[in-house]
Amino acid sequence: MNPEALVRPELDTGVPHGAVLLAYADAVIGTELDALDNARTAVAEALGPGAVSGVAAVAANFSKNDRVANGIGIPIDDMVFKGTGELREQLGLNAYKSAENTFRHMTSD
Amino acid sequence: MKLKGGGMTFYADSKYPVNDELSGAHALQFEKFAQAGTWGTADQRLAVIAEARQAGIEAGLLEAPEDGGAESTVTLPEELCAVIRTLAVDCKAVDMETYQRARAAGLSDPEYAELVAIVSFVVDLDVFARGIGVPLRPFRDPQPGNPLRDIPEEAVPEKAFVPTIPNVPDCGPFGTELYGGHFKPYIMRGLSLVPDEYRAHVALEQAQYNPLPKVPVVEYCHHAGLTRPQVEVVAGRVSALNDCFY
Repeated sequence: MNPEALVRPELDTGVPHGAVLLAYADAVIGTELDALDNARTAVAEALGPGAVSGVAAVAANFSKNDRVANGIGIPIDDMVFKGTGELREQLGLNAYKSAENTFRHMTSD
Repeated sequence: MKLKGGGMTFYADSKYPVNDELSGAHALQFEKFAQAGTWGTADQRLAVIAEARQAGIEAGLLEAPEDGGAESTVTLPEELCAVIRTLAVDCKAVDMETYQRARAAGLSDPEYAELVAIVSFVVDLDVFARGIGVPLRPFRDPQPGNPLRDIPEEAVPEKAFVPTIPNVPDCGPFGTELYGGHFKPYIMRGLSLVPDEYRAHVALEQAQYNPLPKVPVVEYCHHAGLTRPQVEVVAGRVSALNDCFY
């Protein structure tokens, strides 16, 4: 998988039907209902009707986790922090406001 | 729409199949919203989740259902409503100042943790309903009962805004049992100041993402029709849109 496509969705994810999944993720937490209806149909056509509840569940789960993480102010775990310096830089993650919760406790490697 | 029965009927109106594990976990969480929590009464909890849902509707992120279900008799302080709304619809703006505003509005640390939990959970469940194309599920009538207001003595200040129960082996017998004797990443331990909400968080995680022991197993597929890399595309994109560093 190309992780850069997660922040630059015009890029290829390297995952089958990745563009369909990116469009669904954008739509399900966006404001355009028509876009969501189209994205949901595209998921069902590309991956089967049974996959729709799966992608919805994953989007829902990370909507939860992002709020828990930012709301409680948790830093990323030490072992993840130590192994992801280059990736964080590449994706621009260090500029996220929520990065403060980590950099309050750790120095960037 | 009045919901009756358990998980199997919870999404009976969905055009797309929803497995019993997901339906059951979501039906159970709606029941938990209607019960007294560790810190909030059922009526207070209903007021919090209703405020979060209304914020989503007003922001255009959710469609108002014909039947939203029960309504709370509690009026929340405006300062608290602002915190709930930020957490519900502007996750990327949530920071230490948000936490400090909640504390200034009168919440204790465990009350704040419970609020973060139930707002996060209702956003989760509403995103799911919208995601499969069904109306938001109605809130259930709040049930009588008093919060227990107990704080786990194992919880200590670590690196989060609120105290948390450390990982094994520093968590005592209660923490060891709560964590099943295994390492837990901070994203799960973050709600451990309120163990019941931690358990609810884990239950949703296991139904919606992966059973926790399967998280490191990249070949494991928890959802029909989806490979793990496909799951991670959705997970990673949602978190990127929310500017979530974690």
